[in-house]
Amino acid sequence: MTNLEKKAELSDFLNDRYLLFTIEGSYYGLPLAMALEILTVQSITKLPRVADYVKGIINLRGKVIPVLDVRKKLGIPERPYDDANCIIVIEIRDVHVGLIVDMVSEVATVPADRVIPPPKTIGENSNFISSVSQLDNKIVLNLDCERFFANDFEIAVS
Amino acid sequence: MSTDDLVMESLLEAFIHETNEMLEQLDEILLDSERAKSITDENINSIFRITHTIKGSAAMMSFNTISQLAHSVEDVFFILRENPSSLRLVFNSIFDLVFKASDFFKRELERLQDSEYIEGDASEIIAQLTSQAVIIKGSPEPVSAASVTSAVSDGSDILSHDGSVSILVYFENDCGMENVRAFMLLSQLSPFCDEMASIPANPEADSALAAEIIKNGFKVICKPSHSLDVVLNVIESALSIRSYEVLAEETIKLDDGIADASSESNMGDTSQAVLDTKIDTIKNQAQASAGGVKQSLISVNQLKLDHLMDLVGEIVTAESMVARNPDILGLRLDNFTKSVRELRKLTDELQDIVMSIRMVPLLGTFHKMDRIVRDMGKKLGKKADLITEGGDTEVDKTINDAIVDPLMHMIRNSMDHAIETPEARIALGKPEVGTLVLSARNTGGEILITISDDGAGLDTEKLLAKAKANGMLQKPEASYSEKEIFNLILLPGFSTNTNVTEFSGRGVGMDVVKKNIDQVGGTISINSEKGKGTTFTIKIPLTLAIVDGMNIAVGKTVFTLPITAIRQSFKITDESQIIRNSDGTEMILQRGECFPIARLKKLFDIEAGCENISDGIMIQVDSNNSGYCLFADELLGEYQVVVKPFPVFLKKYNLKNQGISGCSVLGDGSISLILDVNTLRND
Repeated sequence: MTNLEKKAELSDFLNDRYLLFTIEGSYYGLPLAMALEILTVQSITKLPRVADYVKGIINLRGKVIPVLDVRKKLGIPERPYDDANCIIVIEIRDVHVGLIVDMVSEVATVPADRVIPPPKTIGENSNFISSVSQLDNKIVLNLDCERFFANDFEIAVS
Repeated sequence: MSTDDLVMESLLEAFIHETNEMLEQLDEILLDSERAKSITDENINSIFRITHTIKGSAAMMSFNTISQLAHSVEDVFFILRENPSSLRLVFNSIFDLVFKASDFFKRELERLQDSEYIEGDASEIIAQLTSQAVIIKGSPEPVSAASVTSAVSDGSDILSHDGSVSILVYFENDCGMENVRAFMLLSQLSPFCDEMASIPANPEADSALAAEIIKNGFKVICKPSHSLDVVLNVIESALSIRSYEVLAEETIKLDDGIADASSESNMGDTSQAVLDTKIDTIKNQAQASAGGVKQSLISVNQLKLDHLMDLVGEIVTAESMVARNPDILGLRLDNFTKSVRELRKLTDELQDIVMSIRMVPLLGTFHKMDRIVRDMGKKLGKKADLITEGGDTEVDKTINDAIVDPLMHMIRNSMDHAIETPEARIALGKPEVGTLVLSARNTGGEILITISDDGAGLDTEKLLAKAKANGMLQKPEASYSEKEIFNLILLPGFSTNTNVTEFSGRGVGMDVVKKNIDQVGGTISINSEKGKGTTFTIKIPLTLAIVDGMNIAVGKTVFTLPITAIRQSFKITDESQIIRNSDGTEMILQRGECFPIARLKKLFDIEAGCENISDGIMIQVDSNNSGYCLFADELLGEYQVVVKPFPVFLKKYNLKNQGISGCSVLGDGSISLILDVNTLRND
C-alpha cells in the first residue's frame, strides 16, 4: 500500500470524528484529524508581553510549543487549573499549538447529516463555530480552527 | 519527479558547485597575476585548465553559451601558453575581459538555479575575446591554435595521404558502458567528418566490446570535413574521456581500417608518437586531480549538517537530563559519576567535531572583497590596496553566508566615500594608493572582524547636521558623544551621500548592514578620526546553535544569560549603595562607573522573586555600547544550552526585540528563556 493510499484511508477513518471537550459546561468539538495528542497540564514557561490567552511555552519531547487558554480566548474568566484540565496539541498550518481546555470528554462520530449549520443569531464574535451537532442529549459546537486562530495567524504571517 | 530528473538535478547541483569553485580559483589567480603584473606559466596553465573543464562540463549539461564563452577564453590562453611573450600586447584588456567572462559565468550559474532558465548572451564578450586573440596572434611570432597542431605534426604526418586521421581514445576508468560511450562519440563526430570508421566497429552492438575498449582504447578513423581541430574539440568536450592520442598511422587507410581491426592488438603501443601537447597537459591534469589533497574532501548537503547539529543539541540536553536527574540527586554514586563524566567528555568532543564540520574559512569571502576593491577602483579612478589578515579564521557556514553582504556593502562604502581620489590624497599628503585593511580574528567564542581605511574619516559635524535635517536626533545636539554620532549612520534612512552611485547610496545603507549582523547575534561599532580614516569592528559569536550560558532564576522562571555578555556578578549587602532617581530608576556605582539597574522581575512581570536588593544578586552585563546591571534572585550555575527559536506562532509578539533571543530546554525538561542583553533594555 502506498503512503498516499494509507493517508487516504486514515483520513477516511478520521472523517466525521470529533474530539469533544468542555469549557464552562458547554461541549465543543474539534476535528479529530487535527488533534495530535492530549497532555495533562504541565509547567508552562511564561512569556513577557504576549496576549493574555497565550499562557507560555512548554517542552514537548524537545519541541517547544506555545499553549493557549481556550477559556481566555473565548472570553470566559480564568480559573485555577485542576486535574481535569488538559492540553490538546493540535496541528494547524504546520504549526503545533497546545490548547488548554477544562476537560476532554470523548471522541464521537458525527455523521455528516447530523451536523447542522450554526444558528445565525450566534453573533459576530462566535463566527468560529463552524457547525452544531446534537449527540445523545448534548449540543456540540464544532470549532473552525482556521477562524478560531485567524487573528493569531493573520498578524503572524504579515 | 522521475529518476531522470533526479539524476539531472544532482548533476546540475554538482556542476554549479564545481564550476563555482573553479571560478573562485580563477578570480584568485587573475587578481594575483594582475597585482604581480605578469602571469606565470603555471597560472596560464591553471586558467587554461579551468576554462577547459568548465567548457567540457557545460557542454555536457548542454549549456552552450557557457561552453562557448569558456571556449573562447580557453583559446586566448591556449595561444598565450604557446607564446607567453605576447601577453604584454593585451595585458590590460585581457584581465578585464576574463573577469567579465567570470562574472558572466557566475550570473549564469545563479540563474541556472531558477526553474525557467534562459541562456544569457555572451556574444559580446566572445567577440572581444576573439579580437584579443587576433591581436596576440598578430604579434611578431604568430602562433595560432591551428598552426600549433600543424607545427607539431611537421615531423610525422598525422593526416594520411587520403586526408583521414586515426585517433585513439581512452575512456575514464570505471565510467561504465564504454561501448555505448564510444558509439555516442562517433555520432557526435559524424557531423564534422566526411568518412568515418572505428575499431572495434559498431561498438554499440555488443556490450562485450566494452572490455576491449577499456584495454586497447577506442580508435576512430575519420576524414575531417573542415579541420582536425574541430574534431579534436568535439572529442575534448565529450563525456568521460580520459585521454586521446592522434596516431601517426600511415599504414591504415579508411577503407581497410575495419579489415585490419583484428590485427590491431598493439594500438596503445609506445612506439606511436603522442603528438598533441594538449594531451600531455590533460593527462597530467587527470593525474593531478586523481591523487593529492582533493580526494580527502567530500561535499555534504547542508541540510544534513543542520540535522546532525540538531541531533547533537538533543544529545547535549539528554546528557544533562541523565547527569542531573532528580532521582539521583543527593545520592553518592561513584561509578555512575565516572560514567557520566566519560559520556560528558564524548559528547563535548562530538559537539566540537560537528561544529568544526560546519566551519568554513573566511578566505573565500575575503577574496570576493578583493574583486570589489579592484573593480570599484577602476570605475571610480581611485587607487586602493586591500590587505586581508586572518583569512584562515573559521566561522560557522550560516554566519559566513550572513556576513558576505554586509562586508561587501562596507567595502563598497569605504571605496566610494572614504578613499579619496589619488590627486586629493597627494594633496593631503597621504600616500597615493589608499589602504583598506580587512582582518578577522578569533578571540575565543567570538569572531572579530575589522574593516579599516585610511580615507576621509567620518565628519561628526556633517553627520549631526544630516541627522538633524532628517529629524533623527532624540536629544539635544550638544549632548551627543562622538560614539553616539558615529552610531547615527547605523540608523535606517541615514545616508551621508546624497548622490546615488552604481555602488552605494541606494537608500539601503548601514542600517541593513547592522540588521544582517544583528541577525547572527553580532554587534558593530565604529571608530573614526576625521581625515585619518575609519574603523568598523564587527563582533560575531562563533556559532549560533549552542551557547555557554549562566542560568539565573527569578521566582520559578529560569533565564539563560550568555557567558560572553557577563562582566561580573556581585551581591549587595548595603542598600545605601543604590542611587534612586526621582523617576524610580535605580543605579549603582561600581568602580567609579554608574550603571543602571534592570530588575528582571519587573521587566518580565514576574510575580514571585526577590524585592530586596540585598536578597538577590546583581549581574553586570555588557550591552552594545554601555553596560548595566541585571537584578535576579540567584545564579543556578553554568550550563551549555541549545538555542531553540520561538515557535512561529509567537512571531507576531516579536519576542526578539523584548530581550529574549530564544529559548532552551534544560536538563530537567523545563524551558529557560535566553536573554539578549542588547535588546533587554530598550530605553
